[in-house]
Amino acid sequence: MKEDDLIICRCEEITLGEIKEAVKLGMTTMNEIKRFTRAGMGLCQGKTCRHLVANIVCCETKQPPSALVPSTYRPPIRPVSLGILSKRLSDDDPKERLP
Amino acid sequence: MRRIEDHPILGKSERGRKVTLFFDGQLIEALEGEPVATALMAAGHRVLRYTHQHLEPRGIFCALGRCTDCMMIVDGQPNVRTCITPVRDGMTVETQRGQGQRRDQQPLRGGMD
Amino acid sequence: MRETEIAVVGGGAAGMAAAIEAAKTGARVTLIDENERPGGQLFKQIHKFFGSGVHRAGRRGIQIGQELLEEAQNAGVEIRLNTAVYGLFSDHCLGLICGDHTEELQAKVIILATGANENPLAFPGWTLPGVMGAGAAQTLINIHRTLPGSRILMVGAGNVGLIVSYQLLQAGAEVMAIIEGLPYISGYGVHASKVRRAGVPILTSHTILKAEGKEQVERAIIAKVDERWYPIAGTEQILEVDTICFAVGLSPLAELAWMAGCRFTYIPQMGGWIPIHDGNMQSTDPMIYVAGDLAGVEEASTAMEEGRLAGLAAAGALGGLSLEEGEEKKAEVRERLAMLRVGSFGEGRASAKDQIIRARNQV
Repeated sequence: MKEDDLIICRCEEITLGEIKEAVKLGMTTMNEIKRFTRAGMGLCQGKTCRHLVANIVCCETKQPPSALVPSTYRPPIRPVSLGILSKRLSDDDPKERLP
Repeated sequence: MRRIEDHPILGKSERGRKVTLFFDGQLIEALEGEPVATALMAAGHRVLRYTHQHLEPRGIFCALGRCTDCMMIVDGQPNVRTCITPVRDGMTVETQRGQGQRRDQQPLRGGMD
Repeated sequence: MRETEIAVVGGGAAGMAAAIEAAKTGARVTLIDENERPGGQLFKQIHKFFGSGVHRAGRRGIQIGQELLEEAQNAGVEIRLNTAVYGLFSDHCLGLICGDHTEELQAKVIILATGANENPLAFPGWTLPGVMGAGAAQTLINIHRTLPGSRILMVGAGNVGLIVSYQLLQAGAEVMAIIEGLPYISGYGVHASKVRRAGVPILTSHTILKAEGKEQVERAIIAKVDERWYPIAGTEQILEVDTICFAVGLSPLAELAWMAGCRFTYIPQMGGWIPIHDGNMQSTDPMIYVAGDLAGVEEASTAMEEGRLAGLAAAGALGGLSLEEGEEKKAEVRERLAMLRVGSFGEGRASAKDQIIRARNQV
């Protein structure tokens, strides 16, 4: 196996090579790498790969880890179906309860 | 990949009653309430799914419901995290290949391009 | 939308301790945990803890977990299990996923005690079934009483690697070796001696080159490394193992703190990005407190004390505790915390914590 074929994002099967390529193309922040490669956009929401991706980006851009903030955290931070997300229960207004 | 019946600290195993689940058509003995993935592991099955792009085998990785490698099709529902899903008597569990589809859906286009 | 006074997110050692302390002052406390039972890592810990009597030394994590749970129930904490917090919104409102629907919980004060996640170790073959975190193996053997395999390689000789290796032996597995990239063992000597006496070789300055197998792990190739961590040609060894566990540190699970706009600082020895907090565990958001591994990866005993501190501070912020009484109780907790951060291992953590508190006071 070539070194660059190493899987980094297990959910989306993104390789080391793909991440390095993204950096070469000018993506140097975690948000950019995530959006360009999809690393971190799988069902685990980056919990497994973000540490690895950060290390790789730091290595490739010669930045210390303290200079690289994580990609933005937006809700929902746990995987949830749209069906459940839209079924919102409210105590004080029974009419708000969706079927 | 076997059960720990007796343990120097935890003592003898006091598990739930024996139940059956169907794994890819095979009958597997499980203990009620234990996670599906560990029931399979105890029965010697560690490969739980194959990935969407490279069709590579995956199994338990985090055991906490965080990583998604244990996702299987349970009672027709895909993407079920089996390491945190308790076994129920008569459950059907299938190896998920790719992104999985529900029985009532058309198969998703998967595999390598 | 439901309301509560103090919402504690995460029912592990820190979360439960925080909830108990706050509830004892009469505050309305809701403890939320995404798992089907609270306790976090405690229920995986079958070994005896260190420390003094007040730190429940000589007791096993599982016992402590059970006791905390009972205390929380007796103190009148509302415990919501199988409930995941999917967002922390403005005005300190929490979005909850409860099974088949969502709810909102409005809190006056929030204590985040969401713990930390195992770091991954990537190497060729790491996606094969049979490769897993040491914490995952620990969950399987101590909670689900199922062995992940019979012949294990442990990568990492910190405390987690050493302790889990020993627990794998207790569970009936064979641990073929523990390998560590550093030229020394970073875990406590007492743990290292225990596994060595049980016949497990600990190979420092070694790394894993790859895992091999058709559908699952069948063997591991390891090699010695030089001082730059490059593998030394000719030192490759094949280990016939069916399971490879890695124990290479933990990182705080801080999504909610980031989402809420809390400020962070980067401290590698505590796990990376840590939410800045003061001596009261208050983050840069005055109504959000942090405790436990989230506030810096340490141990269960420090997690419990930090939880207590956060609980007392949160209750104090709501007026449930007089300033005097609050300061007195917090001083006791801080003293116990200081006792836990001593020695060659503890001092590093103590100074890291000082660094974090200094950063908070500058904000």
